[in-house]
Amino acid sequence: MKKLLSAPALFAAAGILLVVGVVLAFWYSPTDSSSMGFSQKILYYHAPIAEAALVAFGVAFVAAIAYLRTQDMKWDRLSFVSVRLGLLFSILVMITGMIWGKAAWGTWWAWEPRLTTFLLVCFLYAAYWVLRSVVDEEQRRATYAAVFAIIAFIDVPITFFATRFLPEGLHPVVIGPGGGGMEGSMAVSFAICMLGMTLLLAAMIRRDYEIELIKDRVSDLKTSLGG
Amino acid sequence: MTLEEGVKYVAAAYGVIMAVIVIYYFMSARRVATLQRDVQLLEDEARRLQGGAE
Repeated sequence: MKKLLSAPALFAAAGILLVVGVVLAFWYSPTDSSSMGFSQKILYYHAPIAEAALVAFGVAFVAAIAYLRTQDMKWDRLSFVSVRLGLLFSILVMITGMIWGKAAWGTWWAWEPRLTTFLLVCFLYAAYWVLRSVVDEEQRRATYAAVFAIIAFIDVPITFFATRFLPEGLHPVVIGPGGGGMEGSMAVSFAICMLGMTLLLAAMIRRDYEIELIKDRVSDLKTSLGG
Repeated sequence: MTLEEGVKYVAAAYGVIMAVIVIYYFMSARRVATLQRDVQLLEDEARRLQGGAE
């Protein structure tokens, strides 16, 4: 079981699912008949990346609570790598979303609820990054960062539900009852990409977390050996 | 929108995703290489200290 959840195994499973998902998306799922046309194929990676970004911030939120409860630095490291990867995925969502927006709506950007709240998420977690870099003392940095990660997470459900509660925006609901209105073969490809991207995130979190723990160990050893 | 236009946008989006994943991979490999170098230095230092103690 431990081997199945190791970073290389997760990377391999994610890679297979993402390749299968995208092959199905291009050769099995039909091209969207609406105004989006072929550009709708961007959805198969764009939405799963967005979901993965929000999951990463969720992991950071849980790890931040765990840190405040236990004061164990390993939770701070998990929260930190999750935010870093969540931010990376968020930037990818913004870029691919802008490309898709230009293709589907004819504009790179629109100040509509989903896009605006997602941009806010990016700014909030970028601020988390800045906060960590300005506090030197390790314990204090971890505590401030944990509190910030918990507060910043408030925007995550707002972003997810923005298209449901404020339906006047341009952004469609993708995940919802009945697959968000997706046709059967599209939903299959989409679900495979979704699973693949979630596994990719898990692999990246696992790998980065292990690297951070080894870095800490090396740093401790250097100190104990006198430099 | 024509199919050719759509293909350009789709290729750009998937290209960005692939580029970011490749950059992540190389940055991660670089971090591991730095750690391996540090571990090697620590092992050398530990061996040196052990030699001095004997």
